[in-house]
Order: sequence, then C-alpha cells, then structure tokens
Amino acid sequence: VIIRYEPWGAWVKLETQAAIVALDRDGVRALGLDGGRAWEGTATRESAPIEVHMAVTARCGAGCEGCYIDARPDGVEPPRETLERELDALAGAGVFTVAFGGGEPTTREDLDVLAEAAISRGITPVLTTSGLGLTDARVEKLRRFAQVNVSYDGTGETYAMVRGFDASAAAERAIERLAAAGVRVGVNVVLTRASFPRVDETLARARALGACEAQLLRYKPAGRAASLEYLARRLGGEQARSLGPTLRRLAATVCADGDFHVRIDCALVPFLSADESIAANPEALARWGIFGCEAGGALAAFTVDGKVAPCSFARSSGLDATSLSSHAGDPELARWRAHVAAPPEPCASCSLRTVCKGGCKVVASYVKGVHGPDPECPRVLDAAGVRAS
Amino acid sequence: MSEEREIQEEQLRAVRTGHGANCSSIGSVIDTLFATATVGAAVFAAIVAALKREPVKVVGKDEA
Repeated sequence: VIIRYEPWGAWVKLETQAAIVALDRDGVRALGLDGGRAWEGTATRESAPIEVHMAVTARCGAGCEGCYIDARPDGVEPPRETLERELDALAGAGVFTVAFGGGEPTTREDLDVLAEAAISRGITPVLTTSGLGLTDARVEKLRRFAQVNVSYDGTGETYAMVRGFDASAAAERAIERLAAAGVRVGVNVVLTRASFPRVDETLARARALGACEAQLLRYKPAGRAASLEYLARRLGGEQARSLGPTLRRLAATVCADGDFHVRIDCALVPFLSADESIAANPEALARWGIFGCEAGGALAAFTVDGKVAPCSFARSSGLDATSLSSHAGDPELARWRAHVAAPPEPCASCSLRTVCKGGCKVVASYVKGVHGPDPECPRVLDAAGVRAS
Repeated sequence: MSEEREIQEEQLRAVRTGHGANCSSIGSVIDTLFATATVGAAVFAAIVAALKREPVKVVGKDEA
C-alpha cells in the first residue's frame, strides 16, 4: 500500500487492486503505523490533491463544439522535460493518480515515456482520448496506462449532437482496439439534453465493444462550451431530477454482473438531491467515496502552460505546477476551499452538503456570475421556487 | 510505530474503487451504492485483507 498521512488518518492506495481508501487514525495504527507530524497537536493543514488532471497538449484536430480548453490543431505542446518536472511535484505532494488529457494526448509521440515517468514516481497514470486516429502503433504506447477512457457519447447522431460531428465509428474502433490489446478501457459519456435519453443504449454498446466502465459527465460551460448554446445543451430540469432513478436502473442492468461499472463526475452529485432515498443516506455516498466538488481539494488540474487550477474547467491560479507543495498558501485555491467549508443556503442545510460540496462552481459562475450554489441543482431550484422544465 | 491489530471495517472512512480515467472532472463509482449488503461487505472485506497483506510505502513527504 502507498500511504499519505492526513490529520484525520491517511489516504491509502492499494497496489494489488484498484482502490483508494480513507483510513482513520485507529485504522492506520492497526497497520502498525503512526502519522507523526501530520497528527501532532490539532493539525488542520490543507491536504494536497490525490488526483491531478494534467493537460499534456493543447493540440487537437477534432474540433468538438464543446471543447473545454478550446483545443486547436496548432495548440501548444509542452516539452517532456517540463512535464517530468511537474510529475516530480506530484510525487513530492503524494498525489496518487495523474490523468493525462489535452487537447488530444495521443498526438504526443512520448506518451509511453511519460506513463513510465509517472509509474517510476509511484503515480498511477490514466488517460482520456477521443480515439480518433488511434492506430495500433499508438495503442502500443498506451499499454502502461492503468486505464484509458475514450470519449463516446453514443452512436451516430447522438455523438454528433454532443460534439457537432459524427466520429462515433472511430471511437468505437478505438474501444475495440484497446480492449483487444489488453488495455483496460472505459468511456466518457457527456450527458446533454440529447444524449441523456439514450444513456442505457450507449452504455450497453460500450460494454459490448469491450469497455469495463463508463463515466457520466455533466456538460459544463467552459472553453468553447461557454456560449449561449450551453443553455440549450445542458440537461433539462426533469432529466437532472431523474439521475438517481437512472443510475439505479443502470446498476440493475448493465452493471448487474459486476463486470461493468458506472461512475458519475463531481458535477452530477447535486442532482442526487432530488432522489429521496439517496438524499436520506449521505453516509452511504461518503462511505463509497463519492466525490462532489473537490476542486482545489482532492482534485487539482495542471494547465498546459504549467499552472495549477482548482479543476480543468476553472481559471488557473498563479501557482506554478512545479510548486504544488505550496498549494495551501495559494489564494485562489483557498477561495474554492473556503466556499466548500462554509457554503451559503440552501447548501448549508442540505443533507448531501459534505459529499456534494456545493455543486459545480464553474456552472454557477457562468449561469449566475457568482461563485455560489449550483443554479441547476434541484434543491437550489426548489429553494428559489423555480419549477423544473 | 504502533502495535499491529486487526483493521475494523468502520475504520475505513471511504472506499473509492477503480481507477477512473477522465481528465476533466473527478469521477466516482456509483453502481456499488445500489449493490446488496452482501456485495458491499465483500468489497470492504477484500480491501481490509489487501491492507494487511501489502507492504507499506509512505509518500507526500513534501506535505508533512
């Protein structure tokens, strides 16, 4: 196990199975260990992230309408040595997982070297790709990644309605190629008003192609998606409220045999407040390690220009990625954490508060112009007397 | 160093399974939330067993 002491105990990453565990102090002591300085006095230091999303290029020719970093064919690409120094900073902070993204990361010729560089520093590398142009030669460079996710929002027109063009066949080929090569492969499914009704079909198709997992993603207004189109593409109010039943149904169908899993991203957690059963048992969500907004907390992002951001969708702070160990003193990261620590109503009295952490601040900033409660959360809408539409 | 004892399941504050591989927002496995108590207990038991079995390496020394 890989252990990182925290004031409350320790984060523990298992090496023989894919799991990260938050163990309390007694649990750590039961391993014969002691937190030392991290446990001294009433230590309340800010924790470093356990997962960092690293943009390894801003280059991409796909031209997705909703690209959150506005990647382009002539986007910048940092030299490997720069990224290796950033990996040093991750190792120093005790980060467990690095997710390489972009841009299209497979445009880099040195991905295999970067994966090895992460592994040699004790960090688990994973990667997201569009799958476009993923040749067998490029698949070979992905073998050292613990998992590769292919962006796959659905078949044919569903894919096109999310991204503006239909490359679903290429994404499907990529899933099949990766699975055939023995690379653990998942899919990222962006939920929009158009893709949500077909999510069952999309996940069944992904599984049939060889995927072992699907991560459902909320559509977010960042990069090219920060336009009025966002309002037409985001989930409808009733769709958001039906997330809980939808997940329950997926668990009972495509996940029933335990060989395929569904993830939700941090920004979808507020929608669970509309599900009475889930909202009544936040302890279960916490116990299964469900993360809401962890921007600036358990999560951080490294931008392509080498800065730390609270998450991939947020503006970067002034902190250099290579100085991640100074994260506690960065005012922008502190601002994000402060909101989570003391959110205003209606978040303050929400049963899911400690898990959800106030919903997506990127959405709040775009839709309402404030770093505040998620304006698309069913509970926030109810509190404001807004009917679902 | 402390004396080694059995780890109790309640000492596991949270368990995050799987790797996840999204590069834009952090994800969490959710289908386990709806699993039967038996399945859930099996997952936790497997993790407790692995915790005791694996050698220990401490990281994050820049943070301490």
